[in-house]
Order: sequence, then structure tokens, then C-alpha cells
Amino acid sequence: MAEQRQQILILHANNLNLTSSVVAWALFDGTLPSDEQMRTGDADEPPYATVVDAMRDGWRVIQLPQPPNELDPGYLDHEFVLERMVPAP
Amino acid sequence: MTTAAATAETAERLDMRQMAQFVMDGFIEFDDLVPEDLNAAVHEEQLRAPTDARWEPKIPDAFLDTSPATQAVLELPRFKAILASLLGPSYIHDHSYLHITPAGQRSAQSWHVDHDRAGRRLTRDDFYRFNILIAYFTHDVPREMGPTLILPGSHLRQVGHDISRYRNIAGQKHLAGPGGRIAFIHDAVWHCAQPNLTDQPRFMFKVRYHPAEPQRGHFDATGWDSLEMWELFRDNVNRHAWQGSSSDQVAAVRDDWWRYLCGADAEDVAA
Repeated sequence: MAEQRQQILILHANNLNLTSSVVAWALFDGTLPSDEQMRTGDADEPPYATVVDAMRDGWRVIQLPQPPNELDPGYLDHEFVLERMVPAP
Repeated sequence: MTTAAATAETAERLDMRQMAQFVMDGFIEFDDLVPEDLNAAVHEEQLRAPTDARWEPKIPDAFLDTSPATQAVLELPRFKAILASLLGPSYIHDHSYLHITPAGQRSAQSWHVDHDRAGRRLTRDDFYRFNILIAYFTHDVPREMGPTLILPGSHLRQVGHDISRYRNIAGQKHLAGPGGRIAFIHDAVWHCAQPNLTDQPRFMFKVRYHPAEPQRGHFDATGWDSLEMWELFRDNVNRHAWQGSSSDQVAAVRDDWWRYLCGADAEDVAA
């Protein structure tokens, strides 16, 4: 079996619904060195409009968010963690 | 630390619309505060500044102490009036640095809130006490030159220093624009430095100011409780899409702060 690498995609959605709009996104790509990863501020549009759109492209959801503490807003809410295994470069 | 001894009584303070924009976004930006010739003189002094007057040695005010033109900017009546509007007239100069992003620097800083803001438990009162970061760009800073990246509206959320896992957030704003701009930024705003893909160094002169008194009633709040302002805040509940379903709660925090800033009775905002 060919060697594989993990990609992690963290999507923050508008709410807990997997079809709601993505409002923040970060990709950590196991095929790339640290200094070639996605940078802050390098894209204005998300790679997928919704979490479901990412699932349709082969990403597996490995963490669903808990309901946020809406009475005490802090870190970004509705954090979905997805993974994809891809061939090693 | 030195007291700035601002005397802004006769200068133009922020009006309610300007202050409302600051309350919603956590920053307000001006491109007409610094006369063109004075701005050019500051830029010239930045280009001549020795390396040890820049930020690497972390010597507070190392550049400011050697730059008469920059000192003159910080004494401009309108500049002082805006600071007094936000912090009160007895605001305190804490420190300054000349931040330089070298030509060709490809790395980006992680999102963060400055340590002295995030290193302690924030309470409700901390929303009402805030410092101001000045970001002064003497020259044109297009996006590819690495203008500071900020997240408007983030000052109303309680986080620690480390938000470094985030990368891109809808509504993030590169402070790109023409030379001579000064942004006044709430110190809880999430921000990060950006790559400079040009062949010229990028200068950003930063100053941190602290308040010395309760921050309420220092701007021109005439009409603060008018229908116009009520409608403005109502129409901007969902101003920052990234807030998602917490927009209503953030708006409630914002509305309480607005009443406090405008000098509404304390019992009205304590609940």
C-alpha cells in the first residue's frame, strides 16, 4: 500500500448545521513542510462554502463541535475538524 | 511611562458616528491627520534610522527618541483629540516601536491578542477599559507589502493570547492604503503581521497608549441615544459574518458598552 499523509482542514461554520456557511478556515497539509503551510490572511474566500461541500469532496469529519457558550463569546464557534489521507509526495 | 498631558479641548473630537464605528469594529482609521511634508519627514527619518533604533532590540521609544518629526506627529492637535476621545485627556504613553517587515519576507505572523491584554482573566470591566494601539504607515502599503491584518469586531470576544491555529477568517481586513494613515486600534483586536512580497521595506510605527481615567463621556456624544443611532446599531447586528450565531450576544455586549461610553447612568449598564 502506498505511503499516505494526513491533511487536516478546520472549518468554522455560521452555526452547528453542517450546511451553514463557512466563516473561517485553516488547512494543515501533511504533504508540505511547515514553512509552506497556509498562512494567515492569504485567502479571502473559503475552500468550501459549507462543511457538507467539503465532505462531498472526500473530506471526513473527525470532530463535531459542541454547542458554544453563546452567553460568553470567545474563541471561534462551531469548529468542525476534517481529515483526508492523500498519497505521500 | 510619561503623561501625555493632552490638551484637546479646542480640537476636534470624535463624533458619535465615528465612535460607533470604533465600537462596532474595534478600530478607526484616518488618512488626513498628518500634513504631507511632515509625513515625508517621518518617512525620511525611518529610512535613516539605525538598526538599533528599530524594534529588534526591543528598546521602547528607541526610534521615537531619535525622530523629531515623529514626535511632532504625536503632538498634532487632531491626533491628540482622537486619543483623548478614546482614552480621556490624561492618556499615558506606554511605549513605541518602529516595526519593519524586510523586503521579501515571506513568513506571516500567527493571529494573536497582545500579551498584556490576554495574559489575565478578562472581566466585564475589561471590556470597558481598553488601551489603544497606534499603527502609523508613512508610505503607501498595498496588500502585497504586508499591511497589518486585523479582524474587525474581535475586540468584543474573550480569548487568551493563543489563537494561532486560525488562518483565514471571513471579514479579515488588511490595513492596506495610502501613506500617512494612522489607525487607532482597540488592544483586544485580533491581529497579525503579514508577508512583504515587494522589494522595499515596510515601516509601521506603533505606539501603545493607556487610559488614566474611566473611558466614558470623552467624545462628542451629542445624539448618542437618538433614533438614528438606535437604527445604526440595529442594522449592524450581523455586521461581522464570522461571529455566526453569537452575533446577537456580541451585539448585546456592544450595546451595553455604548451606553457606558456615552455616560449613561451606571445602574443602566450594570445588569
